[in-house]
Amino acid sequence: MIEINKLAKKFKVENPKKLSEQDKKDPRLQGRFFHSVREVSFSCQNGQVLGLLGPNGAGKTTTLRMLSTALRPDSGSINIGGFDILKNPVEARKQIGFLSGGTGLYGRLSGRENIAYFGKLNGMTNDAIIKRTAELSHRLDMDSFLDRRSETYSTGMKQKASIARSVIHSPKVVILDEPTTGLDIMATQTVLNFIRDLKNDNTPVIFSTHHLDEVSELCDKVTVIDQGQTMFNDTFDAFRALDEVSLHESFLRSIGKPKHQTTER
Amino acid sequence: MWLVFQKEIKELLRDKKTLFFMIALPILLFPLLIGGALYVGTNVVKGAVEKTRTYAIIGDQFSDEFVGKLNEIEQFSLQKLPSEVQTKEQIVAYVKEGNIDFVIEIPKNYSSMVLDSGKITLTLYRNQAGLKVVENKLNKIVDELSDLYQTIAFSSLGLSESQQISVVTPIEVEEINVADERETLGESIGGFIPYLIFMLCLQGAMLPASDLGAGEKERGTLETLLITPIERTKIVLGKFLTIAFAGVTSALVTVLSIALWTAVLSRGEAGEVLVKFMTSIDAIDFLLVFFMLIPVVAIFAAVLLALSIYARSFKEAQGYMTPLVFVTFIPVIFAMLPGVQLKGIWAWVPLTNVALAIKELIKGTMDYVQLFAIFGSTAVIAGSLLAFCIYWFKQEKVLFR
Repeated sequence: MIEINKLAKKFKVENPKKLSEQDKKDPRLQGRFFHSVREVSFSCQNGQVLGLLGPNGAGKTTTLRMLSTALRPDSGSINIGGFDILKNPVEARKQIGFLSGGTGLYGRLSGRENIAYFGKLNGMTNDAIIKRTAELSHRLDMDSFLDRRSETYSTGMKQKASIARSVIHSPKVVILDEPTTGLDIMATQTVLNFIRDLKNDNTPVIFSTHHLDEVSELCDKVTVIDQGQTMFNDTFDAFRALDEVSLHESFLRSIGKPKHQTTER
Repeated sequence: MWLVFQKEIKELLRDKKTLFFMIALPILLFPLLIGGALYVGTNVVKGAVEKTRTYAIIGDQFSDEFVGKLNEIEQFSLQKLPSEVQTKEQIVAYVKEGNIDFVIEIPKNYSSMVLDSGKITLTLYRNQAGLKVVENKLNKIVDELSDLYQTIAFSSLGLSESQQISVVTPIEVEEINVADERETLGESIGGFIPYLIFMLCLQGAMLPASDLGAGEKERGTLETLLITPIERTKIVLGKFLTIAFAGVTSALVTVLSIALWTAVLSRGEAGEVLVKFMTSIDAIDFLLVFFMLIPVVAIFAAVLLALSIYARSFKEAQGYMTPLVFVTFIPVIFAMLPGVQLKGIWAWVPLTNVALAIKELIKGTMDYVQLFAIFGSTAVIAGSLLAFCIYWFKQEKVLFR
C-alpha cells in the first residue's frame, strides 16, 4: 500500500519575464517561486487502482515524479508499505515501477536488451531476468519482435516494451504517467489490460489520465488535483455521485466549477 | 558503473553515425582527402611549370651568347615586340595586358670582359604574381654566365685559385648544429602534434557525449534511468568513462592511421627520415604521451558531459560544444608560441602544459620532474570538473529543464 501526505514542491522561476499571462495570474506564483504542488495527499491500498485526474498544469506529473523519486519534495511524506521512501530513495526505487509519459527506449538496443539493462540496474541476476522477461513477453504478446532493434518498433510495440521494462523487477507499486496519451486503440487496450493484471496480482497502481472512460473502467479510487492541491480524494462511486449527468460534470464539480459552465480556464 | 559503461559502449558500437566519425573517417577519408588534395595540387603546379612562356628581347644585338642560351630553353618561345611598343611604360603595359609572359632587356655594355664593361644589369619585365618558373630558368643562365665571366676576369688579373675563393666569399659562417636530428624535427612538428591530438580527442568525444546526455533526455530515457536504484554518481561515472574512451579511441585511430598512411605513401627518402625519427623516440616517452592524454581527455569528457546534461536536445548540445573547440585552441596556441617552455608557471597551465610536455617528449628533452606539475594540475582540474558533473547531475533544474 502507498500513502502520500501533504506533498509540496516549488520551482525557482529563472526568468519571470518569460512567464505567460496565464502563469502570472496563477495563485501558485509567489515571488520568484512557482509552487507547482502545494498540498497533495492520497493513499492507495494493495489491489486498488487510483486514477489521478486534473486539468493540464495542475501538478499531476510533478506529483508522480516525486512519487517515483525523480524529484525530491520540499515537504510531506511518501510511504510505501510502511517504508519512508524519502529517507532512502535508492533503496525505495527497487519497490517502484514507473512509466513516464514521454518515455523512450534505447533505439540501438533490442527490446530484450532494453528490458535486461533495467533488470541489471535493479540488481537482478541474469537468470531472474531471463525468466521474468519470458513471462512478461508472453503476457504482453511481445515474442515476435522482442529481439529486433527497438528503433524499428511501432508505437504500440514501444509501449509494450516500456511497460515490461518498468515492471521487470516486480515492483510493489506501479506508477504510470498518462500511459495512454497518444496511443491508438489497440495499444491503449494493452495498457489497460496490463493495469487490470496488476490489480489482479494485488499490486497497487496509480495512474494519471485525461480519459474518464478509463477511470470508470479500472479505478477503485479517484484523486483530483487542481492548482497543486487535492480537490477530491475518495472512491470512484463517490466521484460518480458528484453529479447525476456524467463523469465530466463530476470532474468539473470536483474542481469547484459550477454546473454547465464551459471548461475554459 | 561498469554496467552503464558496458551498455553505453554497446549502443555506441551499434551507432553507424558515431562509428563513421570515430573510425571510418580517420582511416579512409583523411588519407583520401589529403592524397586527393596532394594529387590535384601537384598536377596543377606541374601544368603551370610546364606551360610554354612567350618572351621578347630588347637589345638582342648586344649579346649573341645570352640570346643563344635563352633560345636553348624549349619552354620559352621567342616573339617580336610590335613596333609601337618602345618606351618603358609601353612595355610595362604590354606585359601587364598579358600579351606576352616576359620581356628581357640586354644593356649596351654587355660583354664577357666584365672588368672593362662594368656591372651588367639585365632588365626583366614580368608579372610577379605567380610561380617563379621564369626567374628560376633565367637565374640558371645568369649564374652560369656569371661564373664564366668571373673566371675570365680572375685569370686576366692573375689571381690564384685560393685567392679567387677568398675574393668571392671573404667571410663565411660555419654552423655546427648541436641539436640532434630528433630535436630539430621534434621542434618543428612537436607543436603541431598536440594540437592535432587534442582536437581529435575532442571531436571523437563530442558525438557520444551529446548522445549520452542530451540525446537521452530527448528520447525520454533519462527519467527512467534516474529512477533505477543506482546512484547518480555511478551513472555519471559510467557515462564519463564512455565519452573518455570514445575520445581516446578516436584520437589513437586517427594518429595511427596518419602514421600508417604516411609510411605507405612516402616509402622514399622522407619515409626513411620519418621511420628513423619515430624509432628514436623511446617507448617510455610514447607511453608518457599516452598517459598524459588521460587527464586531458578526462577534462574534455567532464566538460562535454556537463554541457550535454544541461542541454534539452541533441541539437542544443552540439551548439554548446562547438565553441569548446575554440576554447581548446587557445592553450595550445600558447604552447606553440616561441619562448614558452615547460618551466615555472607554464608547467601548471592546464592543456598548455600537456601540449608542451608532448612536444618535449617528442624532442627527447623532457624534464621528468615537471610531470608532477602536469599530472597534478590536470588531475585536479579533471577531478573537480567530474565532481561538478556529479553535482550537476543531481540538480533537478538541470535534469528537468
